[in-house]
Amino acid sequence: MTQSNTVEEIVSQPYKYGFITEIETEKIPKGLNEDVIRLISAKKNEPDFLLKFRLRAYEQWLKMKEPDWSGLTYSKVDYQDLVYYAAPKQDIKKKSLDEVDPKLLETFEKLGIPLSEQKRLSNVAVDAVFDSVSIATTYKEKLAENGVIFCSISEAISEYPDLIEQYLGTVVPINDNFFAALNSAVFSDGSFVYIPKGVECPMELSSYFRINSGDTGQFERTLIIAEESSSVSYLEGCTAPMFDTNTLHAAVVELVALDNASIKYSTVQNWYAGNEEGVGGIYNFVTKRGECRGKKSKISWSQVETGSSITWKYPSCVLQGDNSIGEFYSIALTNNFQKADTGTKMIHIGKNTKSKIVSKGISAGQSKNSYRGLVSISPNAEGSRNYSQCDSMLIGDKASANTYPYIQSKQPQSNIEHEASTCRISEDQLFYLQSRGIDFEESVSMLVSGFCSDVFNELPMEFASEADKLLALKLEGSVG
Amino acid sequence: MISSTSETILSIEDLHASVEDQEILHGVNLVVKEGEIHAIMGRNGSGKSTLSKVIAGHPSYKVLSGSILFKGKDILELEPEERARIGIFLGFQYPVEIPGVSNLEFLRVATNSRRKELLKSELDTFEFEDLVKEKLKIVEMDPAFLERSVNEGFSGGEKKRNEILQMALLEPVISILDETDSGLDIDALRIVASGINRLSQPNSATILITHYQRLLNEITPDFVHIMADGKIIKTGNKELAIDLEKKGYEFIDKNAKEKEMAK
Amino acid sequence: MKSSTICQEWLNSLPPTGGYLKNEQSIGREFLLEKGMPSKKDEAWRLSNLNKLNSFLSLPRIIDNKDMKSIFPEKDENRERIIINPNKNPILNINLPNGIENLNNREIEDNIGKIVKSTNIKNDISVYLNQASSLELLALKVKRNFNQSLEIVIPSIEGKSISTRIFLLIEEGAKLDLLQIFTGKNNSAQNHLIEIKLEPKVELTHGLISLGEKKESSSICTLAVEQSEQSKYSLHSIHHGWDYARYEPRIIQSAGEASTFIKGLQVTKLKEQIATHSLIRFEGPNGKLDQLQKAVASEYSHCIFNGSIEVPQKAQKTEAAQLSRNLLLSKRARIDTKPELEIVADDVKCTHGATVSQLQDEELFYLLSRGIDNHHANSLLLKGYYDEVISHFPKSARKWNFIEKLIQDVKK
Repeated sequence: MTQSNTVEEIVSQPYKYGFITEIETEKIPKGLNEDVIRLISAKKNEPDFLLKFRLRAYEQWLKMKEPDWSGLTYSKVDYQDLVYYAAPKQDIKKKSLDEVDPKLLETFEKLGIPLSEQKRLSNVAVDAVFDSVSIATTYKEKLAENGVIFCSISEAISEYPDLIEQYLGTVVPINDNFFAALNSAVFSDGSFVYIPKGVECPMELSSYFRINSGDTGQFERTLIIAEESSSVSYLEGCTAPMFDTNTLHAAVVELVALDNASIKYSTVQNWYAGNEEGVGGIYNFVTKRGECRGKKSKISWSQVETGSSITWKYPSCVLQGDNSIGEFYSIALTNNFQKADTGTKMIHIGKNTKSKIVSKGISAGQSKNSYRGLVSISPNAEGSRNYSQCDSMLIGDKASANTYPYIQSKQPQSNIEHEASTCRISEDQLFYLQSRGIDFEESVSMLVSGFCSDVFNELPMEFASEADKLLALKLEGSVG
Repeated sequence: MISSTSETILSIEDLHASVEDQEILHGVNLVVKEGEIHAIMGRNGSGKSTLSKVIAGHPSYKVLSGSILFKGKDILELEPEERARIGIFLGFQYPVEIPGVSNLEFLRVATNSRRKELLKSELDTFEFEDLVKEKLKIVEMDPAFLERSVNEGFSGGEKKRNEILQMALLEPVISILDETDSGLDIDALRIVASGINRLSQPNSATILITHYQRLLNEITPDFVHIMADGKIIKTGNKELAIDLEKKGYEFIDKNAKEKEMAK
Repeated sequence: MKSSTICQEWLNSLPPTGGYLKNEQSIGREFLLEKGMPSKKDEAWRLSNLNKLNSFLSLPRIIDNKDMKSIFPEKDENRERIIINPNKNPILNINLPNGIENLNNREIEDNIGKIVKSTNIKNDISVYLNQASSLELLALKVKRNFNQSLEIVIPSIEGKSISTRIFLLIEEGAKLDLLQIFTGKNNSAQNHLIEIKLEPKVELTHGLISLGEKKESSSICTLAVEQSEQSKYSLHSIHHGWDYARYEPRIIQSAGEASTFIKGLQVTKLKEQIATHSLIRFEGPNGKLDQLQKAVASEYSHCIFNGSIEVPQKAQKTEAAQLSRNLLLSKRARIDTKPELEIVADDVKCTHGATVSQLQDEELFYLLSRGIDNHHANSLLLKGYYDEVISHFPKSARKWNFIEKLIQDVKK
């Protein structure tokens, strides 16, 4: 029995969210053209500025080429073979949960996200998104008492068009990259958060994304605005059924933090990763970026990435405001044929800006796990600092771990420090735990958790145990 | 404490073992009964640590031939965690640091896996904290150590005390303490030794692996074995250890040579 | 990449070569004709100042040796020096010291171009430029009984460009202390392609001093090294004073089981750009690497480090450490550093680190508080910073006065 063989067995556990909900769905025909975009916009009853936004993005997208610089190889997506709008059939957006199709409520309950008033989580408000539409948002009224807006982006477009027009596409421009342009053209739903001046959001906000249809691309759009001296902690979760085709998920997330505001954005990504042979799974091509526009503002990303056949995302911080802070904490676990290329960009523009990067990659099977990051200090960012730490753990001799930390500095009065290591589970540590009676599986799980502890500590309380469980699920098998 | 009716806990017969394809143990024989304290002495490289690792089931060490029986049962096929659960405890010479893994959590999981084997109820977080605080007194350890990662940033003495704390929690049948005295100052040595003394039970046994006499001033062994070149070449009582301290290891070499000649 | 007319014109102006380099020359030419010079879209050239790179195409390639008038410091007694006339038959007038021989025809055929080929990167312009323009080959074998130090000096000529091609085969068990010196003249360009093969149990200490002088001197140096098992290779380099320099050390441990130590220093000022692109690949188990790259950028200059380490599956138990330390001394200067680690073996220990900072204020203050003036205090601190690399050079190398040059140029 070699160590790596058995550790590999442990990390290869079946995906438990792979079921499909049988529900009547309204889909528009496959394919993408200007008419489709007009149709999506019309279905959602959107104001004219948004239709123009979409069409401009589409025009840009047509001129762009799918990127290929990361060395990721995958069977290319046929963009004309995708459905760009799918929604469970129900007449109009339901006013209350009682009117939502019970099958949908059941689906989310099965995923561990009960929405009904009796069962819902007591201190987390949830926006549940099924394929292209938001099904329900809990605690809206309670949040409204504090002036906090938390709703689907479709709702925000009709209810708060001014805010949308003012902020949408200002952090991630429509032509930022190929997938962002596509998203801007066709996004269907997503979440919107607005925290007014001086308000500390009274509870965790959470969106839960579920892909159900096999041939539907998911293009959600999230926009979070934190006004002066406000703060919010937001988290998102994702799952999808098992299909043997690849489904595209190309989301865009934009965060705006004004003076003294703070946004904490956490993700647990557990899209279907494909089977042991690497067939099927989600292409997770996501653009996430936050702008610390105000002085002393702070944006903190934390992510636990365990799913998707391919993940390609770099949640980034543009540190414009003086004394603003950017953080990135990441755990990426890949197995079988999964490929994860993830990291962050910290763009220091304002004076005395600080950033911190902690990345933990674990690769097993024949998977490929890459950290790719950029720390850039511009000439005006006097007194700026960055600290990065990237550690990789390899399980089995066919897995690969790559590290590409890119550092660029144009400001002498700044400090950048980067440290990285690659190792495997230490046999001595494993033996030590086992020699105290702790079985092999649990020992491995403890060591992997320990390896990730710096990042776990950054996750919101309600969430940390969830994430640990998710990791344990992948690591421990039937336990969990 | 030793009586003729004492049961045999550990019985090692003609044990040959290797690491990285190099044979280190060349036929070790050892019988340990209830209530006994054994000391194994010898030079660096004589095979003392290898013996302890083989008993505990370290995967890098291969048993080539011979047997190890624990209470009459062959344990060679058991995984290290199974050996620990039935009551075999190895106190490491160099306890490894495990960053990120909470010491308290580690101790609780380990304790519960041993309790399960003993058909005792598993302890929840609160019950365990009560127990561990009780045991901390034995090794005079600050509860703050529980909040840290396993052995991380511990001084040499703190690591060894953490080992004895684990011994106290796991209540082993046989404890093999590998150079527990090395790197300890006088105070730490006294604490560790008194911990070991307090933990010894009439139905358990201890093997002390050591270089020097000084630990044996604190803990009186019933038997002293001297190891050289992967074998136990001489067995005696505590006087042998004192002799060894006085005359040095050369006197063993001489003895061994004479034996060889006699053959 | 698009073929540019200037590149074609340059290729047409080059004299043809014969012998061993004929095939090499056609490889380089074909590529350049088809693809031309790099663009910003080529990852390996993204940060490169491509206008400066073009000086390689605009300066006339020297074809005779009457311009050679370089003056070098005297050599030590126990050192052998080879001055390469980069033109017609570079080794014609050289009396080879005892223990060093020319490679015979078969050895050349078996070896030439192989190491370079195994380290080729995408759009390997540095190599193709050299292949297209090198006319002669210096191919030497260092025998086991050679017990002196060897210097290879490559001068350059004002207003001209040169290309040199060197191959060194170091025989099993040999120990060699090799020092290479490149000096650049005003408005000159030089391109060096060096292949070194270390047979088993070879110990090679390789110092590389690359000093540009005056304005507008450019240098490209590609160093491709193959290490056999149980060999030990120490490479120490200094790059300074070039308007444009690109240094590409590429080291392959062909069977693992070898040790590689690298200490590199690059210092830029004015509008200079110096880039180091290193590649270290382990093709067998138990390899070791310890790499330190230091850079100092002041005024308007730009220092680049790109450090690739590849540990494939067959390279179990590799231990590799890479550290990039950078000092940024001016607001208009720029540092780019990009380690790249690609690891597919689980039983390895790899670490890397990078820092970018300025001279430590506390250290500076300490010196100032002892009455040392600002300029001297800075010089002292820089000297300390350089020392980690410089201390590895043999004493005799100090004759090239590089320490003085390194320090006098840098102002805060």
